[in-house]
Amino acid sequence: MRKKLIPYLLVAPYLIHFIIFVAFPVGFSIYLTFNNWNIISPMEYTGLSNYKRLFQDNIFWKSLLNTLIFLAIHIPLQIIFALFIAELLNQNIKFRGFFRAAFFLPVIVSGVVVTILWQQLYGFDTGLLNRMLVKIGLGKIGWLTDPNWSMPSIAVMATWKNVGLYIVLFLVGLQTVPPQYYEAAELEGATHLQKFFRITLPMINPTIFMVVVLSTIGGFSLFIEPYVMTGGGPLNSTISAVLYIYKQGFFYYHMGYAATLGFFFALLILSVVMIQKKFVEKDK
Amino acid sequence: MKMIKKILLLIVFVFLISCNPDSQTRNAKIIYWCSNNTEEIEFARYIVGKWNKNNPGEKVMFQAVPEGQSSEEVILAAVVGKTTPDIYSNMWEGDVESYARAGILVALDTLDGFKEFLNERCDSMVIDEVTSSDGHIYQIPWKINPIMLLYNSSIINELGFSEPPKTYSDFFNASKKFQKDNDGDGYIDRWFGYAEVLVTWWQRFFDFYPLYLAASSGAPLVKNNKAVFNNEAGVKVFEFLQKMYNCNYFPKERLSARQDVFLDGVIATRFTGPWEISHAEKFKPKGFDYSFQNIPVPDGHIGPVYTYGDPKNIVIFQTCPDPSLAWKFLKSVLSEESDLKFLEITNQLPHRKNLDTNPKYAGYFTKNPKMKIFAEQAKYLKGTDQSPVLKEVFDLISQEYEACVIYGKKTPQEALNDAEKAVNLLFLK
Repeated sequence: MRKKLIPYLLVAPYLIHFIIFVAFPVGFSIYLTFNNWNIISPMEYTGLSNYKRLFQDNIFWKSLLNTLIFLAIHIPLQIIFALFIAELLNQNIKFRGFFRAAFFLPVIVSGVVVTILWQQLYGFDTGLLNRMLVKIGLGKIGWLTDPNWSMPSIAVMATWKNVGLYIVLFLVGLQTVPPQYYEAAELEGATHLQKFFRITLPMINPTIFMVVVLSTIGGFSLFIEPYVMTGGGPLNSTISAVLYIYKQGFFYYHMGYAATLGFFFALLILSVVMIQKKFVEKDK
Repeated sequence: MKMIKKILLLIVFVFLISCNPDSQTRNAKIIYWCSNNTEEIEFARYIVGKWNKNNPGEKVMFQAVPEGQSSEEVILAAVVGKTTPDIYSNMWEGDVESYARAGILVALDTLDGFKEFLNERCDSMVIDEVTSSDGHIYQIPWKINPIMLLYNSSIINELGFSEPPKTYSDFFNASKKFQKDNDGDGYIDRWFGYAEVLVTWWQRFFDFYPLYLAASSGAPLVKNNKAVFNNEAGVKVFEFLQKMYNCNYFPKERLSARQDVFLDGVIATRFTGPWEISHAEKFKPKGFDYSFQNIPVPDGHIGPVYTYGDPKNIVIFQTCPDPSLAWKFLKSVLSEESDLKFLEITNQLPHRKNLDTNPKYAGYFTKNPKMKIFAEQAKYLKGTDQSPVLKEVFDLISQEYEACVIYGKKTPQEALNDAEKAVNLLFLK
């Protein structure tokens, strides 16, 4: 009897944690999607009305589109920049340790601090970027006030903030490529570019997949940057899906609807990651 | 094995104790939460100390509302966790209706002497404003911070005006004269006024809403579950603000991240409340002079100029074991003497009628002439309409405000039509 109990006791701490902090919240959220609840009043069963509302909610679809625009800019930018820097930092250069630490530094700085810093850089009148543009004879840009520029501006900032992490991942990937492959290629007269495209890229494919998945999931959870810098404006051009869900839940206390949006959004992320996985597996 | 059993029992015991909401031994008969700014904590300490001294058998304990992103969120969390205080003195008027409908607040008009007390403290317009849709009153008007036009007196004089702009035309003239490209880069960097361009619903308390109340002589936004803001006043306010942004008299950039742009002379005016006085007195440069006046109105406006009062009220929660005792305590908090003390300690105005003419407060206003301007404005104030979806109403107006006023994507009439339609849909749900 005692022997039978021990395995259960051993898994109990994790199981209890899982039930309280994962299974119950997920189950409760799904239950919430069929109800209206403003926290203070009793729940009201509404059937599928939250789902119906979701498909008619223009701002939610706009927020999804914004998130996709963000991802379309952020992911390629992040991969290209991280790979380029990682390749440089993988060479035998002076102060390599310093540069590796310097590029990683923004990752550990608080997101709010970074956004406030970039808000200053992006300032229309006194921002450093616009001052530089004016100095070289160009016009000022409404980085955060022009609806066409606001999301790309946020994507650039998010790339700067997170790229250090992906540089580290790529560095690890690059160091796993056996040097004899390069030596053989050199003997065959391959150029730097040929070596990069024919050896490096195929060899670090799993790392690229991991970076794509991580930055996709990270990008889908875009929140702090628009919340602090633009509040979702101008003209809802930076309202991300997570920010919109947060607003529905914690500004207006539409908990049932927020749960519906969250549930739908989680399914969407899952689908995107599955598709990405299929593509990468196909390439292999 | 015995040892393990003992440890497990101890863990379960500690867990159960910590889960008990009544675990804090309740020495006090009434628990009172005040706002968590230093001045209001000082006032609460004074008033509770005085009460406890005079009523040793009816002890009140005060505590500043716990820190959180906003006091509204903290109160909500307390409501959900059933850990609300008995009395809370910083309740935003717009939240009361939904709490009242959820049955969380005590209907104060059922308490002995409440109606008489309220009639003595407030005029009928305020009483109407705090009366909920079910006819009961769940809040006691406590304090106000009217939104007015803060202006730099030196700039107004330098521009050749004898007084700050009162109408929209005056405002445009002054704005045109003041607007300047200081560094010659082809872009304006000195504006006559400033309002936050963020679409967040409560930002409209500092631009659209006071201007709307001023233009409409205090008209509501919603009435009987219907939008009523799509009127001449609403259109005029949108037109005014749209022109301010369109002509670059207001910047589209957020200036709040910079040092104080008003004290730096980057802007000459701002819509704000009396809290600006203590800030300006502390940080103003030498020789800097400023004052306040009514919110600007459309040309030809007749009658008093209303504004938003940003009222915060007192409520008693249903969890209170003795509402009559809580009410007895509150009468002492809201007495004329206590209001004077409140004024002196916090520099916020008590929400009571005839504040500017009551001899009790004359001494304070002589010493603080800028506060007198706010006290005079207190006769013409509005809070918010009683609606459980007020935040959504402001949010929908804010969305249209941004599209029309700031980015000129819609005409004022189109924007108000769309906002009206969206708000009415909200009531249909």
